[in-house]
Amino acid sequence: MSFALHRPTSLAAALALAARHGAAARFLAGGTDLVIQIRRGRLAPAHVIDLSAVPGLAGIAGTPEGGLRIGALTTLKAIERHPAFAGGARRALAEAARVVGGHQVRNVGTLGGNVVNASPAADTLPALLALDAEAELVGPGGTRRVPLDAFLLGPGRTDRAPEEVLTAIRLPPPPSAASASAFLKAGRRKAMEISVVCAAARLDLGADGRCVAARLALGAVAPTTLRVRAAEALLEGHVPDAGRLAAAAAAAAAATRPLDDVRASARFRRHLAGVLAGRALAACLGRMGNGEAA
Amino acid sequence: MDGVATERRVVGRRLPRLDGAGKVTGRMVYAADFALPGMLHGKVLRSPLPHARIRRLDVAAARAMAGVRGIVTAADVPAVRYGTAVRDTPVFATDRVLFQGQAVAAVAATTPEIAEAACRAIALELDPLPAVFDAEAALAPDAPLLHPDWASYAALPVLAREGNIAARARMRHGDVEAAFASAHRIYEHRFATPLQHPGYTEPRAAVAAWEGDGRLTVWCNTQLPFDMQAVLAEILDIPSGRVRVVVPGIGGGFGGKLRVGVEHYAALLARRTGRPVKVMTTTEEELTAAYPRQATTITLRTAVDREGRLLARQGRVLLECGAFANSGPGSAAICMQILVGPYRTPALDLESLAVYTNRVAAGSFRAPAGPMANFAVESQMDIIAEDLGMDPLDLRLRNVVREGDLGPAGEALAGVSVAECLERAAEAIGWRERRPAPNRGKGLACSWWMTTGGSSGVFVRLAPDGTATLVSGAVEIGTGALTGAAQVLAEELGLELEDVRVAGADTRDAPFDYGAQGSRTAFSVGNAARVAAAELRRQLCALAARRTGLPQEAFRLERRAVVGGGHRIPIADLARESQLSGGGLIAHGTYINPAPPYDPTRVENHPLPVFNAPSFHAHAVDLSVDPGTGEVTIHDYVVAQDVGFAINPTWIEGQIEGGVAQGIGEALSEEIVYREGRVLNANLTDYKMPTAQDVPRVRSILVECPSAAGPYGAKGVGEPPCIEPPAAIANAIAAATGRRVFSLPMTAEKIVLGEGG
Ligand SMILES: Cc1cc2nc3c(=O)[nH]c(=O)nc-3n(C[C@H](O)[C@H](O)[C@H](O)COP(=O)(O)OP(=O)(O)OC[C@H]3O[C@@H](n4cnc5c(N)ncnc54)[C@H](O)[C@@H]3O)c2cc1C
Repeated sequence: MSFALHRPTSLAAALALAARHGAAARFLAGGTDLVIQIRRGRLAPAHVIDLSAVPGLAGIAGTPEGGLRIGALTTLKAIERHPAFAGGARRALAEAARVVGGHQVRNVGTLGGNVVNASPAADTLPALLALDAEAELVGPGGTRRVPLDAFLLGPGRTDRAPEEVLTAIRLPPPPSAASASAFLKAGRRKAMEISVVCAAARLDLGADGRCVAARLALGAVAPTTLRVRAAEALLEGHVPDAGRLAAAAAAAAAATRPLDDVRASARFRRHLAGVLAGRALAACLGRMGNGEAA
Repeated sequence: MDGVATERRVVGRRLPRLDGAGKVTGRMVYAADFALPGMLHGKVLRSPLPHARIRRLDVAAARAMAGVRGIVTAADVPAVRYGTAVRDTPVFATDRVLFQGQAVAAVAATTPEIAEAACRAIALELDPLPAVFDAEAALAPDAPLLHPDWASYAALPVLAREGNIAARARMRHGDVEAAFASAHRIYEHRFATPLQHPGYTEPRAAVAAWEGDGRLTVWCNTQLPFDMQAVLAEILDIPSGRVRVVVPGIGGGFGGKLRVGVEHYAALLARRTGRPVKVMTTTEEELTAAYPRQATTITLRTAVDREGRLLARQGRVLLECGAFANSGPGSAAICMQILVGPYRTPALDLESLAVYTNRVAAGSFRAPAGPMANFAVESQMDIIAEDLGMDPLDLRLRNVVREGDLGPAGEALAGVSVAECLERAAEAIGWRERRPAPNRGKGLACSWWMTTGGSSGVFVRLAPDGTATLVSGAVEIGTGALTGAAQVLAEELGLELEDVRVAGADTRDAPFDYGAQGSRTAFSVGNAARVAAAELRRQLCALAARRTGLPQEAFRLERRAVVGGGHRIPIADLARESQLSGGGLIAHGTYINPAPPYDPTRVENHPLPVFNAPSFHAHAVDLSVDPGTGEVTIHDYVVAQDVGFAINPTWIEGQIEGGVAQGIGEALSEEIVYREGRVLNANLTDYKMPTAQDVPRVRSILVECPSAAGPYGAKGVGEPPCIEPPAAIANAIAAATGRRVFSLPMTAEKIVLGEGG
């Protein structure tokens, strides 16, 4: 285990290093995935580019359009505590950030790291998909934005080129309709737990009580975080009554392609997917009922 | 007692631990911290396969690597086999490997990384052999034999062995057949429990250094320094007097550090290289090649009458030793006493088998056999209560043993408090409201356990400043037991706890101690300290008598002084005087609890037929189960434990809280998972010990029903708290959901989907 450690102090310098070393280099954010992968011998980068001294990569700010821009190096703890996610339409993201690992992990682990690491079990990814997040990347060719579901390609695989830095995650403005989101996680213990299954949902309701937009995303049930469009389609345009929610939850379970592994059987994962999907959707409705929505 | 003040001033109080400040400030040096100048680092090459013939083992390439200083394999060590009950364990695999994780070679290099790389550079070619992965399969007539030469191994004479059976034992009395024939109901169930890692924070670590004269010192975190000394001497083929074992500090053991783990590799590599060598395990080694709690399969058949009175029990314990017997024969046999439970059982026929398989050589984790057998018997007690329409508490109270009843080996039971423990735990948890809300339920379980005997010796010296040094070969494993022993000594000498210093854990300088095992340290070392204190009191009173002309009997020790006949002479003065004129005040004390008498016709081939100074306890838990996800949330947990006499309530509560946490892990989440003889979760991501968020506040009720033998009536307290949690939680889950899980861990998946996936 040996590598050259670089600590660029500008984005341009980081990009230059990445361009020079290409696939032989890895960016380092909180290191809670990368360092373990290196120590376990799964990765052996010749160059590690520490992003912590690059200014402007952390922080949460509103955009002119009314959306949010979350710097890639924003820690999960900062998200957990930020008022933008404390209630309202984007609460799912704080709920997901709050259950990543333990305090120590969240104090250094970043949102960008969770996204680029692209684990099928990553907790923030279902919440980000439910919130229609986009990845903002800067590379030799400039800045580009990719919808998150197009960005995630497979376990550990994304649309990011090795020379590109993920600079931010962007969330669009909340819809004018009543909107709420929720995230739920199932695991064997209550902290320091990789999700056996996790689920995030968002519902936007029109004035007539019909669903204007629905999002449902599941973690740890497929090679990538799974957005369940079939379930969304069952809800959109309809009043989300108990029957609709149950049908959507069943569609979610049916859409899964889970693994049998040491954490759970495929059968149990599919069962949990249905349970958590139904509950996440119900929680969205409940939150709107409580006047908690945006 | 002669010369002791009657009012207790030091024992029974919540005093700070003697080892506390060093630990919480980080100043304590643990074995894992220990280092010597010029030290090399050792790593062990372990078998990747569960059973295979070694076709080729070639270390030439590894030896040639820069930084590698020495390699040892079976070819370099005497062909000894060692072992606690059966001498079946070689230092390195010779012709065959018997489990994934078995040591094949060890390398010393200038850094751990080089040593690891050198292990990978060793050419190890294996031809797989048919293997057995569970105890039942190992019993089949055509099962591959783990140890074809089993009959030639030395073993404890009491053991009955054959083929893959490392030990078979039996306990029986009464007319079982007649009892079953006349029963109102008969219940038969089968329970299974997995391998559980002891979960100590500090990995196993050892630093070995040889001196020019052929003497070896090993600094390590063993629980049993004297046993380690003897085993190392055997393995190294030198007189044990040339081996010195020192335990600088130990970061938890829980039975996982009883047996030689890395010490012999460090010693062999140090001998080979002529330099000190440190060997420390990785997490992966801990989860593939440590001494986890043995897996068991237990069948229990019970006959009851119409009123729920137990008539007879029949049962069979299959305990999986893994590749080597280790503590398996003892643990399997003790399972039987725990299966009887603290219940009157007029007729009994239990059998236990300790069985070899091609999995890790397991060990004796805290209350070995306790939680497994208790899970079986206490789950079944609830099933019986449910079936008979009785309250589980009432069913237990109807059947529990009372003072003077006979235990399973026909021994007379004394200090029996199980009814009180049950009643107090039930009362505290609010038992009358057993199902307070949907998906919420309460569960109870009770058990008994032994205070292991074994001898202890101590030296005590009174310094001219009036303080005492207690020199003991016991190990402070983290329980506070030696603070307890020091409290006993202080009490007996009229000193304060702060006047006592504990030294030892060094086989060269300290008297023998049977070691940190079996809930015995405070009990036995405390008793030895009392003996030494009596001798010192005699010496002090004699000095006071000489000085005053009064008779020796006129004096007692009180508040750092010898007091009597209107005199008050500071102990320090007398210690000073004795140092000048009499060689100083020194005494020794030894203690061994005599084995309680029992009825030998009731037991066959049992290495531990009777419980010494048994303790009794009951646990009660209140929990909810999420009906959709199966997630268990524990709201409240109560332990009523009979400790005989609470020498220091704070540290006893600490033992209770820690034991419950380990028991919750065993109940709900922990398991070393194997597939085809290979571990699937050899990391702490997927081997799941409970976190602070999984463990509720634990409420301890200390019941004090004194033992005849313990200091002030104390009983062993360290092991029992991890016995009942799996059963209590199983019973609460059943109360909450109407579903019962028969195997540990009771994962959410089993609760929701049932067992068998
Ligand atoms: C004990 C423990 C518990 C954990 N529990 C959970 C959990 O419950 N849920 C969960 O989802 N995760 C969990 N994780 C995983 C991890 O903490 C998260 O994925 C975290 O968000 C990773 O962020 P990081 O900043 O540490 O990433 P790093 O490890 O620094 O990076 C991860 C990957 O992303 C790349 N990368 C990071 N930032 C950028 C960037 N800005 N641009 C381009 N590439 C980048 C790195 O090169 C690397 O490949 C756990 C980890 C540990 C150690």
